Amino acid sequence: MSDLKTVEPFGEGFISALCPELILFAGLILLIVIPNLGSGKFRIPGTQTRVPWLLGGNRFKLTSDPRLPSWIAVLTIGTSFVMTILSFQDGVERTAIVSEGGTQILMINAFSRVFELIFFGALTLASFACMNRLDVKGIGAKLSTEELYNNRRQGDFYILMITCALGMSIVALAQDLFVLFIGLELASFSTYVLVAFFKESKSGTEAGMKYFIVGSVASGVGLYGLSMLYLWAGSLQLDVLATTFAQSGNEALPMIGIGFVLVGFGFKVSAAPFHFAAPDAYSGASSPVAGVLATASKAMGIVGLLRILLIVAAPESSEDGTVWLVCLGLLSIITMTWGNLAALGSTNPKRMLAYSSVAHAGYMLAAITAIGAWNWDETLSGDPGEAAVVVLAALIFHLMVLVAFKLGAFLVLSVLESEGGGSKLSSLGGLAKREPFLAVAMFIFMISLAGVPPLAGFVSKLLVIMGIVKVALGDMSEALSTGSELGLSDVHWVWWLALAMVINSAISVYYYLRIVVVMFFEEAEEGRSGPLPNGWQVRFAILVCLIATLFMGVASEKILQICETAAQSFNYNWA
Amino acid sequence: MILLGFVSNASPRVREGLVKPIRMACLVFSLLLLVLTTGMFFQYFGNVSWMDIQFNDYEYMASYSWIDSLGINWTVGLDALSFPMVWLTTFLLPVTIIATWNEKYGATYFPLLLMMGGALIGVFVSLDLFMFYVFWELTLIPMFFLILKWGGTDRKYAAQKFFIYTFTASVIMLLGLITLFFLQEPNTLASAGTMTGRSFSIPELIDSARTANVGDNWFLGKTMQNILFVMLMIGFLVKLPAVPFHTWLPDAHVQAPTGGSMLLAGVMLKMGAYGMFRLPLSLFPHALYHFQLALMIIGMVSLVWGAIVCLGQTNLKKMVAYSSVSHMGVILIGIATMQPMGWAAALFMMFAHGIISPMLFAVCGAFKHHYHSMEIGAMRGMAKHSPWLATSMMFAWMASLGLPLLAGFVAELMMLIALWHMISLDGWSIWWMVGPALVLALTAAYYLWSMQRTIFEGGEETQPPASMAGQIIPDISNSEKFAMLILAFFTILFGVMPWIALDMMDDWTKQIFEGLIVFVGKGGA
Repeated sequence: MSDLKTVEPFGEGFISALCPELILFAGLILLIVIPNLGSGKFRIPGTQTRVPWLLGGNRFKLTSDPRLPSWIAVLTIGTSFVMTILSFQDGVERTAIVSEGGTQILMINAFSRVFELIFFGALTLASFACMNRLDVKGIGAKLSTEELYNNRRQGDFYILMITCALGMSIVALAQDLFVLFIGLELASFSTYVLVAFFKESKSGTEAGMKYFIVGSVASGVGLYGLSMLYLWAGSLQLDVLATTFAQSGNEALPMIGIGFVLVGFGFKVSAAPFHFAAPDAYSGASSPVAGVLATASKAMGIVGLLRILLIVAAPESSEDGTVWLVCLGLLSIITMTWGNLAALGSTNPKRMLAYSSVAHAGYMLAAITAIGAWNWDETLSGDPGEAAVVVLAALIFHLMVLVAFKLGAFLVLSVLESEGGGSKLSSLGGLAKREPFLAVAMFIFMISLAGVPPLAGFVSKLLVIMGIVKVALGDMSEALSTGSELGLSDVHWVWWLALAMVINSAISVYYYLRIVVVMFFEEAEEGRSGPLPNGWQVRFAILVCLIATLFMGVASEKILQICETAAQSFNYNWA
Repeated sequence: MILLGFVSNASPRVREGLVKPIRMACLVFSLLLLVLTTGMFFQYFGNVSWMDIQFNDYEYMASYSWIDSLGINWTVGLDALSFPMVWLTTFLLPVTIIATWNEKYGATYFPLLLMMGGALIGVFVSLDLFMFYVFWELTLIPMFFLILKWGGTDRKYAAQKFFIYTFTASVIMLLGLITLFFLQEPNTLASAGTMTGRSFSIPELIDSARTANVGDNWFLGKTMQNILFVMLMIGFLVKLPAVPFHTWLPDAHVQAPTGGSMLLAGVMLKMGAYGMFRLPLSLFPHALYHFQLALMIIGMVSLVWGAIVCLGQTNLKKMVAYSSVSHMGVILIGIATMQPMGWAAALFMMFAHGIISPMLFAVCGAFKHHYHSMEIGAMRGMAKHSPWLATSMMFAWMASLGLPLLAGFVAELMMLIALWHMISLDGWSIWWMVGPALVLALTAAYYLWSMQRTIFEGGEETQPPASMAGQIIPDISNSEKFAMLILAFFTILFGVMPWIALDMMDDWTKQIFEGLIVFVGKGGA
């Protein structure tokens, strides 16, 4: 365990600690300013001297290029991504940003860095792919109003991407529920607009509206819960809340408060029964944005859940921990089953992926339940936190690889979408003949989602199941080796979660395979037999996802270690 | 070591023009593998004496670490259980390639076959639970595509059913494997520095099981053994397949292309039986004893039911598929007899059926290819029109129904003897003999009947089937003839001289049995 280093805002070490966020912030400002630079001149009053001050006037050729914002955004988020990776090189220093009063606001450690990695990775790929998705017509030629309008809104889109990244990374860093909420809302509002951003499809606006209304209600409920917690503990600091919860957590007020907060985060991870807006939002939004919702936004919700459930309402500190444990376990089973069954019946590939993402949320909830179960149940004592670290590492790994194949699948759909529509199963028809690369990539993503070895999806699912089983079996191996007779009733009930997961992944195989069958063995739709629209950026992004899917499956060793350190740094009582 | 190369043969995507070189390359490569494994058998490499391998001892061991923090190593090795299977796979690969020499889209077809073979070999040589499972699943993918791209009219349904059935079963098996993994005692030596403190190594697992199964102590306790046994067996029984999990097999077989069927029946079905021998049999003696009756019943039902259904089939390939179910019942019965002889019979049945059933399917494929139909009534008087096909068909049918001096006979005979042993030694009811006896008659009936209707009936005035519409009736092509001849040769070889493979199997089963009999005699039930 490394020692905690505290840094005051703008004090020594502040810049290196918050490097990725500061880069994002700088990029945001650049993105707002640069496309507006022009030949405007400022006349000093009373003289004839005109000083060029760049604002107003005719824009320069470079700054008026509609492609500029996208490159700025990609470079910004990409640089943050690289900086985050670099910070892993010699171990992440555990650093807290404290206010003047000494309270921790943000905490930088391996855990938050890993999540930043997930957020930035997903958003970089998505923005990169969006370069092909948002129509850009060259300048100079005569443009219709529509095209001009499209060129004009480039900036808006990428600004939202960056604010989204910023909000998400704040969530990962926050040590105070209020800061966490600010980050959450920053990211949420960005995604609301992003969902509604594409007006080419009629459902886009509707989806945005639905997502906004349901999302803001969920946030409102969550905020109400936060206020209850504040009323009860007098603070929203995570550590203060945790100690107070240990003393009097079984009162009604904090329980209700935490329940409300869970609603807010449950919406973000699209857990049943808060998932109803998700399929609409995913299918209405453009595919890269939907990919972000399914990966980065979901990871953000998981961070929130982890903080609330495992730090604040840490079950080992309270006897009533079981209440949420059982609830969460049930919720996870409902979520995964519901998601999978609904996905079976949907013929829109985007909705199908949305439901599969609901199912994945169920798997993650099962993992969180298992962590909680380990902490709470004294009969399962072993090395403190040993199993919890395994499960948490598995969970983080799962979120990481999800970026590769879930986002990748959405990006493949995005190519089809820019051709004219990807919202029907038949629009995938004949893809193998039209562009074999995309079909093979989609095939790999699908079987990775289904969990077929040796791809990343298999390893991650296996790890989660292994973690849960390990928790469930506890120290049974010792008891067995001394010759005592144990049966299934001696196994902790979270074992059944693993069984539910296993059965659910078997169900899910059907709808993933259906896509493969359509791609390879059905003819293309009427009038869609020609080559697909060009665009090397989106293909490059898909290629990156593809390589990551294969690589993280076959050579997961290194990444697993990173996840393990991250998991250890989540709660220092465990390490 | 060299086995590593087997697996890295993922198919390169290539254009149609390259069909010939690719086909040739695949053939040469598979022949190379065959030479290699045959060389292993004749002790050219490393001087292995297959007779002297102790149980749970392996030759050509090699290990590479894959995911250290989970204790996953890629350990491979061969013993008397896996070697015949590996040889069988390498033998069937070139034969299949030759037999289906003119398959369409060859540039992807033949590499897929090779990939399939690589995955199958991977299953048989893996000595690591994790890698075992990985290869186990990996075999599904090429097979799925083989059925989907080259299959019959209902191929989509069949391919998906095949995939979902076996995948569902194997994920349940996976959960069983993981539970087993965590129930082991943490092994500090072998798995130092891992997150979980345990390793996936099968030999270590078997070792600890055998040291734990002493006296009244059972490895992991009786109840736990039973639970894990059931979970693993679900995976294996579906793969085998045994009634009531068999329904995917006829569909998959009927729709699959000839080459796919040959590998599916020849080797893939044996994965289930191999898994039973490798894991539950070696690890859970008590559970095996506990579920002996259940296994026996499942085996009997598969045997009899498969044969009865065969009688009613009008589709040639479906009949052969159901006869596979029936023969797999023999394997299960062999295991359930709890006699070393029965186990050796099951092992030899795996081997013999692995040679005979590809021949059956090759015949079916040729039939389909030349007469455009699989219906038994579609062609009459074949002996006149296509003497080669008729002869091969007759030979294959005879081999499958257990004609003496052919490979299938040896296994069936051994199974019957083992059953007698069981009845006389362990005091089972004599009525258990009725099933196999009945099936002997039934098998002869359905094979002879179908032969009569296709090969002979019709006589001189036979008209070619309507589907041929006046074309000249061709006989089978030279490559098909060649493949049939090789298969027939080995069927006879192993029928006349079964000891070539039987000896090592026998030895292996005796050893594993000696490890077990102590408990069955002493502590059981």
